[in-house]
Amino acid sequence: MTNTWYFYLFFSAGLIFAGLYALLSKRNLIRLLIAIEVISKGVSLVLLATGFAKGNILVAQAMVVTFIVVEVSLVATALAIIINIYRHTKSLDVRKLVRLKG
Amino acid sequence: MIVQTALLIGMVLFSVLAIFLKDLIRAAISLAVASLLLGIIFFRMGASYAGVFEISVVAGLITVLFILTIALTNTGEEVRESRLANVVFPLFFVVFVIIDALVMKGLLQKVPALPSGPEAGTFGEVLWKGRTLDLVGQIGVILAGVFSVLALFRKRDKHD
Repeated sequence: MTNTWYFYLFFSAGLIFAGLYALLSKRNLIRLLIAIEVISKGVSLVLLATGFAKGNILVAQAMVVTFIVVEVSLVATALAIIINIYRHTKSLDVRKLVRLKG
Repeated sequence: MIVQTALLIGMVLFSVLAIFLKDLIRAAISLAVASLLLGIIFFRMGASYAGVFEISVVAGLITVLFILTIALTNTGEEVRESRLANVVFPLFFVVFVIIDALVMKGLLQKVPALPSGPEAGTFGEVLWKGRTLDLVGQIGVILAGVFSVLALFRKRDKHD
């Protein structure tokens, strides 16, 4: 693979690391979703960079567009779940979810 | 390449800010700026359609959804985050970046690339003819998202 690909891979690895670190260390549900968004940015960057490096930018674009559609659907559903959790527990703290019953 | 590097560094910085800013609204706006920079990077790589989607959908729609949720769940009570995690992060990040750079340097030219044929046609042809199943999947995912949101916000019956 080309040097350009490694260059983009370097940055997307940084994004994915930051997102994973936040997923492991943060407790606010909205912040956890923001961390998932950061990880998805890294993934879409590496998808497009691979297509760019191999000269298949059109297929990579099609895959990124599909990825974005999946991402939006995921975020909408996750935010709806977060609002419901907030109505039940009156908090966004992920630790309070362990007390849920039934 | 200098502009592209600056955009990538800016995107990583705003993404890290989105994770570590205390105020959630500011965090959501930082995420939108990171998406905007990613969209510009896509444009500069020649992927204009992906750039348009990134800017309009991720930087626009998802930010609106985030801000709406933050407004709906705002009671003034803050979730107590671990301070140690915030303090330790820069150290971990620097160590990771060094390891990342060394690994990338070590892997350079070592990963074999499968041969790929030259692309022909336009983006529309590739999307509609080559990736038709993806489009069917997209419709399925959108419908799943819509129905799940409807199910989560349905009004309760008297019997519930």
